[in-house]
Amino acid sequence: MADKVICVTSGKGGVGKSTVTGNLATALAAKGYKVVAIDADIGLRNLDLILGLENRIVYDIVHVIEGVCPVEKALVKDKRTKNLYLLPAAQTKDKSAVKPEDLVAIVESLRNNFDFIFIDSPAGIEEGFKTAVTPADTVIVIANPEMASIRDADRVTGLCSAMGKPEPKLIVNRLDPKKVEKGDMLDAEDVVQILGLELLGIVPEDKEMVSYINRGEPAVLSETSIAGKALRNIAERLLGKEVPFLELKAEGEGILNKIKKLFGGT
Amino acid sequence: MGFMDRLRDAFRKPPAKEVARQRLQLILKYDRAGLPPNAINAVKDAILNALKDFPFIDASGVTINISEGDTDREKIEIEVPVKNN
Ligand SMILES: Nc1ncnc2c1ncn2[C@@H]1O[C@H](COP(=O)(O)OP(=O)(O)OP(=O)(O)O)[C@@H](O)[C@H]1O
Ligand SMILES: [Mg+2]
Repeated sequence: MADKVICVTSGKGGVGKSTVTGNLATALAAKGYKVVAIDADIGLRNLDLILGLENRIVYDIVHVIEGVCPVEKALVKDKRTKNLYLLPAAQTKDKSAVKPEDLVAIVESLRNNFDFIFIDSPAGIEEGFKTAVTPADTVIVIANPEMASIRDADRVTGLCSAMGKPEPKLIVNRLDPKKVEKGDMLDAEDVVQILGLELLGIVPEDKEMVSYINRGEPAVLSETSIAGKALRNIAERLLGKEVPFLELKAEGEGILNKIKKLFGGT
Repeated sequence: MGFMDRLRDAFRKPPAKEVARQRLQLILKYDRAGLPPNAINAVKDAILNALKDFPFIDASGVTINISEGDTDREKIEIEVPVKNN
């Protein structure tokens, strides 16, 4: 498989990189693929929380680089999903503790044992970002339908191309259909047109997301989560399947409600 | 806000997403070219200033654009129309 090593990045912070990484890794592992998710956000460990694995960490990626333990020993096996492993970031070190060539060496040592290797990139465009992108076959850029996020996504796209990577694929996260219908928020189509990237998927704003993260249970494991469904579809697309984009509609926003609003109702 | 205000607002203001789209398209054009956002206007002003001594030039028709050059560099294209009389 050509697209085995996938880096999830965004430029802007807090747009959903770790959430998407944890969920896509879980969804593919749940389908039977052997998956490892590498947290490359050194100093700001996060992916362990999303997967609910924080209590199982003994070694981290910097221990592997320092030769304290072999990479196999640092991998944390997921408690729910078979075939899913986490390589945690170090919480006490900084970005300079992992150089691009270190991550390349780790990825190469894992490549033959896994179907998918996800790399959760830190925010920004500095060395941490470059390290995370360097080993990747495929880059996924996450953007929220919002000015700063889109601008940063474009910047990251330019940097990836300067690094000789194939053009990133786009995930639009936190799209709120209600705001789009009101004309307050850019639609996914607008974002695609502005950035000129291939759209991998649209993940709606889901107010339940915080509770999935609080529980350490990825949303893709829930049948009722709308964001979970969108993320499962993206996982299918990574497998090369053609899945139509979800029809995202604002609930209870019929014409009657719109007229009511015009008259000052809510 | 009363009904009439709301109605007027709905017709007068372009939707926020439309404004965002237009702003972003412009911002990214400059970002990609590695130019500061006001660079083009500054260049245009300087050129207009330099051209004002030539009566055969139609200063009102001067246009300036960023476009992709043949190499991997962006170029600034300036069109200076001659007055036809
Ligand atoms: N589709 C969504 N709906 C609602 N909330 C979301 C969604 N996606 C992400 N979030 C929330 O956004 C916040 C930031 O998400 P996350 O930590 O994944 O972003 P990040 O890009 O990894 O951030 P950082 O740049 O700090 O690493 C979290 O609180 C998460 O719950
Ligand atoms: Mg993160």
